[in-house]
Amino acid sequence: MTVKELAKKIFFVEIVKGLALTLSRLFSHAVTIQYPKEKRPISPGFRGLHAFVRNPETGKYKCVGCGLCAAYCPSQCIHIYTSEGEEGTKIVERYEIEILRCIYCGFCVEACPYGAIALTEHYEYSDYSRDALYMTMDKLLSNWDNYMAGSKGEKYFKRFWRPMSEDLGTSEGQAVFKK
Amino acid sequence: MNITGQEVIDFLIKVGIIIIKIAVVLGIALLHVAYATYFERKVIGHMQVRLGPMRVGPHGLLQPIADGIKLFFKEDILPANADKPVFYLAPVIFMASAMVNLSVIPFTKNFVIANLNVGLLFIFAIAGLGVYGIFISGWASNSKYSFIGGLRSSAQVISYEVAMGLSLVGVMVMAGSLNLTDIVKAQRDSPWGMFIIPQIVGFIVFTIAAVAETNRAPFDLPEAESELVAGYFVEYSGFRFALFFLGEYTAMLIISSIAAVCFLGGWTIPWYITKALPFLSHVPGIVWFLLKVYLFIFLYYWLRATLPRYRYDQLMAIGWKILIPVALANIVVTGLVKILL
Repeated sequence: MTVKELAKKIFFVEIVKGLALTLSRLFSHAVTIQYPKEKRPISPGFRGLHAFVRNPETGKYKCVGCGLCAAYCPSQCIHIYTSEGEEGTKIVERYEIEILRCIYCGFCVEACPYGAIALTEHYEYSDYSRDALYMTMDKLLSNWDNYMAGSKGEKYFKRFWRPMSEDLGTSEGQAVFKK
Repeated sequence: MNITGQEVIDFLIKVGIIIIKIAVVLGIALLHVAYATYFERKVIGHMQVRLGPMRVGPHGLLQPIADGIKLFFKEDILPANADKPVFYLAPVIFMASAMVNLSVIPFTKNFVIANLNVGLLFIFAIAGLGVYGIFISGWASNSKYSFIGGLRSSAQVISYEVAMGLSLVGVMVMAGSLNLTDIVKAQRDSPWGMFIIPQIVGFIVFTIAAVAETNRAPFDLPEAESELVAGYFVEYSGFRFALFFLGEYTAMLIISSIAAVCFLGGWTIPWYITKALPFLSHVPGIVWFLLKVYLFIFLYYWLRATLPRYRYDQLMAIGWKILIPVALANIVVTGLVKILL
């Protein structure tokens, strides 16, 4: 042991250094976010609770029941039931999402050619019953009204979930669903 | 013998005053323990860049009360193979031995419950009794964790009591008394104002030994959470656990008070400070005393927030190979200086 090491031991140099560090931290600002009182700002494009986009023109949902979202869903939590209506149109009877199985990957939104489904910024929806977390069509539409009301939804959707229909619009001469 | 009515009344008044003093000290000590836990959680929290308790009351001020009520209503569990009477007795011994020591601490000029002329020795004797509480609890719980915790604790407390006692001999030599009040008066009259200046070696040995003596981090091997779950009181729950908790924090208060009384000048402040800033002499003595005590308690928390736990062989090596020889050398030097000057 050299003299320097001995002196370091006698005067507790390392311990004093550690004490100085903890003392300096004592007067620094705590990083805690007191959750229910303060909330962390939501980052843009946050993937929260699901919602059905309400068409501002018709006031109804945009879904056509093609089933791409359900086919794409990795956790297979989307269930779609359709029937054939008058003149062979497809009617979406039930559209249900099991929120408890969802992994919030956002693939359903990406897959949808009509921009009919979205993930909102809302994330505080824990509940005591499973039924409350089983999303039906009405609940999904009201989610849109509650958390994406007004022009916020449109802007948010266009910015982060650019619907495929905008990029891959049908060309003039292509055959379309009959109306 | 001739006992007059006047003498009986005088005696009763004396007893009454003592009982009132005991009630005051005990009440303040218990309140102190409750808020010492709050202070600790806040200090360590902020040192770890957290906030500590914040929810119960403004800034978590009612947290200790909530904790106390919770502990009081918890289930009292008795291990099936425990030695019942001894199991029940252990926390009482531990806590009582911590509480008894409060009686000889001079809080301010004329406020001491029992002005013993062997005050310092009394404190060591009673603090030594506290080990029985720890060891008995470890044995009676019939659990390997608490047994090892109890063994470690008794070995540690006994080894460090030697170092702590020797570190205070320098103070005794300088003050020429074991009475805590006289030690404070000797410091007031000395040219240094407080014994920490001539007895700095003794103070450092005392501080290290004090941390080990009260089983606090970084010498908290008896309750080493990562190895022994909770150490000697692992089988205790509810109010019996609270008694151990109270005992530990009261012991910290006692040791901090000894540090304040023997090294930092108790309720007095050095004459050169009052000479420089005369208005400070109007501050009541209890303020200085409490300031010094809380400074020392803060040091406990500060060390806990900074240092990791020592290994058992390191703990013993520090105690026997470093602290005791250093304390002995300190005694020799102090004695020589006292004789020669």
